[in-house]
Amino acid sequence: MKKKSLSMILAMAMAVSLCTGCGSAAAPAPEAEKTTETKAEQPAAESTAETVQEEASASIVTEPTELTFIFADGDEGMKEAMNTIVKNFNEAYEDITVTIEPGNGGAYSEFLKTKDSVGEFPDIMEMRDTAMYVRAGKLAELPSDITSLFASTTEFNGKVYTAAMGGENTDGIYYNKAYFDANGFTEPATYDEFIALCQAIKDKGDMAPLVVGGQDIWHLGFLFNKAYDDQVISQDEEFISHCYDGSADFANDGFKKTFEEMAEIMAYAQDGWTSTPDAQITTFLVNDMAAMLFSGTHMIKTIKEADPDFELGWFAVPSPDGKLRLVGGSGIGGLAISAEAAQDANKKAAAEEFIRYFFSADTYKYYCETMNCLPTLAEAPALDVDPVMQEIIEATQAADHLSPMWNGKTGNNELPPDFRNFTYKTCIEYLQGTTTLDAALEELNKTWQTSIASFNPVTGVGIVVAE
Amino acid sequence: MTMQKNNKQKPDLVALAFVAPALILYGLFVILPTISSFYYSFTSWDGISPIINFVGFANYREIFTSARFGNALRNTLILTVFISVFENAIALMLALAVDHVHWGKNVFRSILYLPVLISGIVSGFIWKIMYNYNFGAINSFLKNVGMGGSVQDWLGNTKLTLLMIGVVLIWKGAGYYMIIYLAGLQSVSTDVMEAAQIDGAGASQRFWHITMPLISGTFTINFTLSLINGLKVFDQISVMTDGGPGFTSETIVYLLYKVGFNEGRQGFGTAVGVVLLFIIILLNTVQQKFLRSREVQI
Repeated sequence: MKKKSLSMILAMAMAVSLCTGCGSAAAPAPEAEKTTETKAEQPAAESTAETVQEEASASIVTEPTELTFIFADGDEGMKEAMNTIVKNFNEAYEDITVTIEPGNGGAYSEFLKTKDSVGEFPDIMEMRDTAMYVRAGKLAELPSDITSLFASTTEFNGKVYTAAMGGENTDGIYYNKAYFDANGFTEPATYDEFIALCQAIKDKGDMAPLVVGGQDIWHLGFLFNKAYDDQVISQDEEFISHCYDGSADFANDGFKKTFEEMAEIMAYAQDGWTSTPDAQITTFLVNDMAAMLFSGTHMIKTIKEADPDFELGWFAVPSPDGKLRLVGGSGIGGLAISAEAAQDANKKAAAEEFIRYFFSADTYKYYCETMNCLPTLAEAPALDVDPVMQEIIEATQAADHLSPMWNGKTGNNELPPDFRNFTYKTCIEYLQGTTTLDAALEELNKTWQTSIASFNPVTGVGIVVAE
Repeated sequence: MTMQKNNKQKPDLVALAFVAPALILYGLFVILPTISSFYYSFTSWDGISPIINFVGFANYREIFTSARFGNALRNTLILTVFISVFENAIALMLALAVDHVHWGKNVFRSILYLPVLISGIVSGFIWKIMYNYNFGAINSFLKNVGMGGSVQDWLGNTKLTLLMIGVVLIWKGAGYYMIIYLAGLQSVSTDVMEAAQIDGAGASQRFWHITMPLISGTFTINFTLSLINGLKVFDQISVMTDGGPGFTSETIVYLLYKVGFNEGRQGFGTAVGVVLLFIIILLNTVQQKFLRSREVQI
């Protein structure tokens, strides 16, 4: 009997502990203060510690003000850039102190939620899940003198809450230029030429045509988004919105072709792509194990660090219809100010000043160059960047279509919370042959119907905005 | 008689004082949140919004109609059965072997127990590197000994993924159960064993008819513990496969985490947790009934 009781207690304790993680008290809704503060002239910011501005801080706040700042610090370059910018800002503004708090590396979104749930939501933050936090009333609207700096912004009911730090991460093919030159391969001008190039490399047999870090499903999302833009967005820019209103679904021709395009491209991925993490793809490229990889601009620095002598080339893969569709422009994420901080006049003024400082010409130039990101400002600084990066900037300027990733859209095209990952995982199952195309699309439709029962921007179901 | 009555009525304040701190903490951090979980499971809360919408049984309806939950349940059961059976079998074999070692018993015991001391996350990373298709030790070894044809994408092959995770869990957990079995084996009276030997019982007969019945209590405890551990596996899946490829290694606990914490559906995630609670109670009750009846017959 004792043993039985002990076993039952153990089982209960374990089961109970599983449930506890999901419950916690909701934080009260902060009320955004509408007080308008007199803003100081925007200081001419500096990108390095050598020159520090002295003139600005006196008129920004009425008393010494401290701000907490959190960003996704998983990337060393990001950490370096932010530390420098914050240090320079703190030196330039005597009465304002911005303190960086650790951002917990990779699991940033979860970390920010945890900070919020324990009442430690930062005053300024790099915001990613903007729609969710806007609806929860956690973010403050940015003033027009900041939002007007940008070439484009993402609005929620006419208000802007984020200042995009970098343009959406434009994806393209990074390739081994030396290998291409040695074998007479050239950059393809069309989609068909790209497939032919993959086939030619495969036939040669000395390395995989393409390395894909499929273990990280977000990495696979780069390619998926390309196929989605090629096959769905080319036909219907408002596809997701139409799925919400019931006039389209995932068994349609465009989405079917998205999966088929994925299958066509993934046929050239390296063996073991499903268990290869994104962190390993550079190794494949610089060690002559794969000729190409498809990813964003953040890869330039990673590849150069892995092998400074590596001859890197880049090209965009056109859509099958000949148009060039790229990921780009301001996305949904960026620097944001918490609504709670904005209730304090000094914090609000200081936080807004920090954002102005961040996007001042020299500081922002430094950030973009360090992070290899595309500027989002209307008056973009001229960057002194790697030739490959310059090529990407020019490609985005020449592209026929620029848009955020399919999961980064807002309004009626915002995806239900869990649908992106579900789609990627379903796509992997299709690519691995564990499900058929029709079954995969049917499953997507079923999951979509379940998802929109609790989240539908078109009908307003589940879209509750906290005041 | 009167004395006994008085003793019963009088609360043991000293004992209560010792228990209280743990009881309060457990109540605050386990019991209360668990009770509130039942409430959240009927909402569509996203985890951060101050607005919490009551959705009735919608989350539960979704759970029982969703193929994803069905898949997670299947994966959980496969993994749990695999772990419970093999972990106990291997642990018992190791315990028997160590029990019969006359020299360096403690050394062997320590070596076999070492994996238990490694955290789940670290063991996941170690094996993930070893399983790696291109750079892993296992495939390199196979190639070097001329068995290149046996090279596998251990974590990428949908037919192998769960099995490979199970191997890691067994490697990590067997030492722990071995120690418990060892304690059970050492409590078996040598007199009984010697008497059986004198009566002509062979090694196999002694094991099945004397050792096993006498350690059946230990077996019950170990099987219960491994069942529990199998149902709540998280670390290794998180590190090694992230529930993939596709949904191949997504278990209920992992689904709970991904949906609740990663995808902003705390209400649904909590409902999954509640369902899992009842699954565990059900499985444990059935298991206890079976194992207890076995003990009674003995």
